[in-house]
Amino acid sequence: MGRIALEGIRKSFGTVDVIHGIDLEIGEGELVVFVGPSGCGKSTLLRLIAGLDQPTSGKIEIDGVDVTRKGAADRGLAMVFQSYALYPHMTVRQNLSFGLENARMPKAEIDQRVEEAARMLDIGELLTRRPTQLSGGQRQRVAIGRAIVRNPTAFLLDEPLSNLDAELRGTMRAELAALHARLATTMIYVTHDQIEAMTLADRIVVLRKGRIEQVDTPLNLYNRPQNLFVAGFIGAPNMNFFVTEAKSGRAALPGGAEVVLDHAGPVTIGIRPQHLRLAQDSERAIAAKVHLVEALGAETVVHASAEGAGSILTVLEGQPLIERGAEIRLAFDDENIHAFDADGQRIG
Amino acid sequence: MARFGETVGRVATLPLVLIARAFDPVLRLWQRGTGTGGMVAFFLLPNMAIFGVFVIIPLVLNFVYSLTGGTNILLGDRSFIGFGQYGRLLECGNYLQPLTCREDQFWTAVRNTSLFVLFQVSLMVCVSMITALILNRNIAGRGFFRAVFFFPVLLSPVVVGLIWRWILQRQGLMNLIVTNLGFDPVVWLNDRFFAFAAAIGVSTWAHMGFYTLILLAGLQAIPKDLYEAAEMDATPPARVFWRITLPLLGPNLAVVLVLALIRGVQIFDEAYVLTGGGPGTSTLFLTQYIYEVGFASFLRNPGLAAAASILMGLVLVVLTLIQLGLSRRAERGNTR
Repeated sequence: MGRIALEGIRKSFGTVDVIHGIDLEIGEGELVVFVGPSGCGKSTLLRLIAGLDQPTSGKIEIDGVDVTRKGAADRGLAMVFQSYALYPHMTVRQNLSFGLENARMPKAEIDQRVEEAARMLDIGELLTRRPTQLSGGQRQRVAIGRAIVRNPTAFLLDEPLSNLDAELRGTMRAELAALHARLATTMIYVTHDQIEAMTLADRIVVLRKGRIEQVDTPLNLYNRPQNLFVAGFIGAPNMNFFVTEAKSGRAALPGGAEVVLDHAGPVTIGIRPQHLRLAQDSERAIAAKVHLVEALGAETVVHASAEGAGSILTVLEGQPLIERGAEIRLAFDDENIHAFDADGQRIG
Repeated sequence: MARFGETVGRVATLPLVLIARAFDPVLRLWQRGTGTGGMVAFFLLPNMAIFGVFVIIPLVLNFVYSLTGGTNILLGDRSFIGFGQYGRLLECGNYLQPLTCREDQFWTAVRNTSLFVLFQVSLMVCVSMITALILNRNIAGRGFFRAVFFFPVLLSPVVVGLIWRWILQRQGLMNLIVTNLGFDPVVWLNDRFFAFAAAIGVSTWAHMGFYTLILLAGLQAIPKDLYEAAEMDATPPARVFWRITLPLLGPNLAVVLVLALIRGVQIFDEAYVLTGGGPGTSTLFLTQYIYEVGFASFLRNPGLAAAASILMGLVLVVLTLIQLGLSRRAERGNTR
């Protein structure tokens, strides 16, 4: 239970097309994260799945049943909102039981489900409080609890951690991962935070301007981005790009370094900052001049620039002695090179 | 262009600047004498003076008048009789039967006003709520309808009374419709029941726009997310209204209740123009009674009118305190 399939989903608001034909299958018990820049349509897509908005065209199936024209109430899904959307005039217990009362569930069963969810989320002591008497993290737990008690086919989470501070976000992220492992229910999670996406997801859906750019596991997205957008979007700091020309199976990089490519014509070579290192004397390398050194302790971020290539970011392990204005040579391994053609699609 | 705008702005505000400069030496002197704290009193002074002259002094005078007797209007010519006027007003065999009271008209007015408040405030809250709920929906021509419902608020109560008297008179618009539908004309304002109902209906029509606006503001302040959460929770529309909308609208409803109640007790102008208190005393309300006893009747009694208005004021204070208490409780309920 909990298979969700989207087929040719389009959504327009007036004359503005927001979602341009999305096809996606989400497996039972899978945790899929929608990620992308602001305005890419990730929240809209989630609302279409929830039934809070209707698609302009296309089909949504849950467990093989077409629910496209069904209302939110009839889809068996539960949603955790970015703002938590807790009823401010109700206690935590009333918030948790409200949906169950709507379903005319016996009181004993409601109490049992509420107690169980409260125990699972460690909010048992908060049941008599109102939302305004809770901290951000506690409210978040209650919002998740409200979804859990309904025992839904799938959970939809719309940037649930974005209102929390960094420390709490880390804690809640771990708790969400544990919760998913325990419940084994399908979850669709919207975020713009890469760390959340990478750490939580079974698969990540990268969206841009209402289109899917790539759907893959977090590590595949990182290791084999299928296009320039995904390569630049996934990974922090952003990937370095060098625009060059491939001739006779070779592409030249700044400083004379060359890479072997089975391609001819304009190409963009991408190398992640973590995959550059200080070169030995005889090694193939990119020559660059250092502008800024950020020593973070465990690693050092070097901002440099190469002639004809603009800025280059390098993340070096440890605390190498590099000063601003120094000339450095940055080496790389062939297996860490990402090459993209003139259309931004991956080569090889 | 910006420079031109700046010049125009300077010229337009010149009179204000000159006035402010004229006050400057006085303000400096005051601040030197009283410190920064004294400036608060300085700026509050004009308003407090107006409040004192038009509210506090008349209130005290009114109370003093209520302790005097006679028909003379000048206080110096009146005799002190203590709480005699209050005794006269409250002297009654059975308060539910005005005719057994010494001032039967006062108790008739009290009864009429109480019934008016009960029905008019209930009707007002219901109608305003329904209108606000409809106008809060994404209906076509929403702006136009909002204006239509608010427009009567802009009219003078006397104009409202005249319009409806014209509509409801024997040869008025209403009877034109009634006769065209094949029924006999009704003398609306000469019938005790219809006249009372008309007073309620007209005053509701005249003021509902204002209350609708307050409720509409409250409805729009309820986060959309809550309704979406309720939708995900499969909440039936009626339950959404009773369990989410209504509790969250509590503070606004309390404000509407307080204001409608106060206005209801004070009903005078539109009802007076519409029915003149008749037929008989069927639409005689407290304020009209006070006006007639104090100023309009041949044997005027300003002391009795003052005592009646003090009693009415006390009732209003009690009602307001009750409503404010409820309002605070509703507000605490929503934010706690």
